[in-house]
Amino acid sequence: MKEQRPLRIALTKGRLEKDTVGLLEKMGYDCTQVREKGRRLILPVGDTIEVVLAKAADVITYVENGVCDLGVVGKDTIIEMNGKFFELCDLGFGRCRFALAGKKGDDFYSGTHVRTIATKYPTVTRNFFEKKNMDVEIVKIEGSVELAPLLGLSHAIVDIVETGTTLKENGLEVFEYICPISARLIANMVSLKLRQTEIEELIAKIEKNLSAGNAV
Amino acid sequence: MNRFDLITPEGTRDLLFEECAAVKSVEGRLLKMFSDRGYSEVTTPGLEFYDVFDSKSRYFPQESMYKLVDNRSRLMVVRPDTTMPIARMTATRLKDRALPIRLCYSQSVFRNRPGMRGRRDEIRQTGIELIGAGTKRAELEVLSMALDSLRSFRTGGSRLELGHIGFFKAFLSEFDSDTVEEIRSLIEYKNYPALDDLLSEFPQSADRDALKHLPRLFGGTEVFDKAAAIAKGNSAALAALEDLKKTYGVLSGMMEKGSITIDLGLVNRMDYYTGIVMKGYVEGFGEAVLSGGRYDNLLADFGLDVPAVGFAVNTDSVARAEMKTEPPVLRSADTLVFWEDGYEAEALSLAGKLTAEGRTVETAVCDDKESAVRYAAEHGMKLYTLPGEVQ
Repeated sequence: MKEQRPLRIALTKGRLEKDTVGLLEKMGYDCTQVREKGRRLILPVGDTIEVVLAKAADVITYVENGVCDLGVVGKDTIIEMNGKFFELCDLGFGRCRFALAGKKGDDFYSGTHVRTIATKYPTVTRNFFEKKNMDVEIVKIEGSVELAPLLGLSHAIVDIVETGTTLKENGLEVFEYICPISARLIANMVSLKLRQTEIEELIAKIEKNLSAGNAV
Repeated sequence: MNRFDLITPEGTRDLLFEECAAVKSVEGRLLKMFSDRGYSEVTTPGLEFYDVFDSKSRYFPQESMYKLVDNRSRLMVVRPDTTMPIARMTATRLKDRALPIRLCYSQSVFRNRPGMRGRRDEIRQTGIELIGAGTKRAELEVLSMALDSLRSFRTGGSRLELGHIGFFKAFLSEFDSDTVEEIRSLIEYKNYPALDDLLSEFPQSADRDALKHLPRLFGGTEVFDKAAAIAKGNSAALAALEDLKKTYGVLSGMMEKGSITIDLGLVNRMDYYTGIVMKGYVEGFGEAVLSGGRYDNLLADFGLDVPAVGFAVNTDSVARAEMKTEPPVLRSADTLVFWEDGYEAEALSLAGKLTAEGRTVETAVCDDKESAVRYAAEHGMKLYTLPGEVQ
């Protein structure tokens, strides 16, 4: 085969990006360019890796279509997008949970009315209530979902909860946890096969560093 | 109200010039190769009854099919696959034919996929089915043709990957069907962490531990030793492995090192495939471009209990990869024929004669000779005028 481009990893901008860069540095990669990126979006890490910065959902799209070989993205986005790729590794950072929450003291499950749920994650919400055989009305919200029950738009919300502080400060509480979330390393289904050695070596290094990190 | 009279539906597209030529070139090369090996081309209807695709072993999720109703209110689908219509056709119209039957096809299938993800809903597929032969020889014929197909693609490189669904199925006896589907899906997507978590809920057993390792069993010949160690004592798994190893041995003799690999985690459509499964990849395209395998139970579903093996190539995908390395060169006319009034018949038959000499000929559609001369000069064409001389 022809000479290959560097292994391209799409990172979810923001916290997951910082955590991944930290991990790559621990593994001995030079991430200066990513730390001093300015407004650039494609950045070299050593000679063998290229980092692409993208929004969470776009990380999946790029990996699925094979223009990036690997990606780091939260399980929340994976469940919501539901695409075709390999999910190779739980990176352990970015930990939080999906939860059903509403006004403190409300009894969500009592009564026969159809509930309205506000969320940024309609697929997660639909799947959760389908498993309970409950018909709900889902309202897609883009920003602070906590507003919806406070303003009387919805009976509850489905959202990511990390510490629960935002909920508490707004008089809301968790009714039920749906599932845990953390950052995942995903791979394009063809890249893993055509560049197996490179990717497996990288994963082995990651796993070594993760277990070392947990031991501390 | 919005009108949609100037655009195509999501997931479909017009193919113009180079793109069209690239797809047709791939299809043409494949069909020629298939026909050279004794496969006869068939086509099946674009619309089929829903029932053709509605059974567990044929398994197409209903939300993935485009549906409509006919004038008697019966549910129909726009063909989501070609193998099942071919099975239907073989089990009815070809049931009395001497076996084996070698068929090939080149037509589009339609899948209703979530939009805006860069995927196509109309997928052009060219493939073969070898029906009525359960032997290793039949498999080798089909697999070697898959290899030849991959080698004929004008892309940076290609890879044929083999698996065996029997290996996976050999470890499932202690799980119920819902769990099996969950395990299968996690193995298909190599979701190591979730597979570990799921299997850890079950009591320790040889089968459970084998399944944990299964998605990692991919690569070159070293996979056979690892797999044999994991399958120790499981005769069904070892038999599947032995079968795969034999096939791999023959095929790798046909091809340079590294072009054939193994993935025992190829477990897509487990209700459909019954033995060897394959996928083909080309450099520069993020999805498999070829897939297939042995499906010995499908024909029985339509009432003719005979084994079968086949594969299909996604020709659009190959064409897209080929466009990056070797875009097709379009043929443009090199000759113009102009006639004065009264010379129509002579001029038009001259155009035909010139094409027979290998020229690409346009006839002038303008009424005056000056325009024809200008047009020929602008396009670098040789001009023939009647009556008169070659210019």
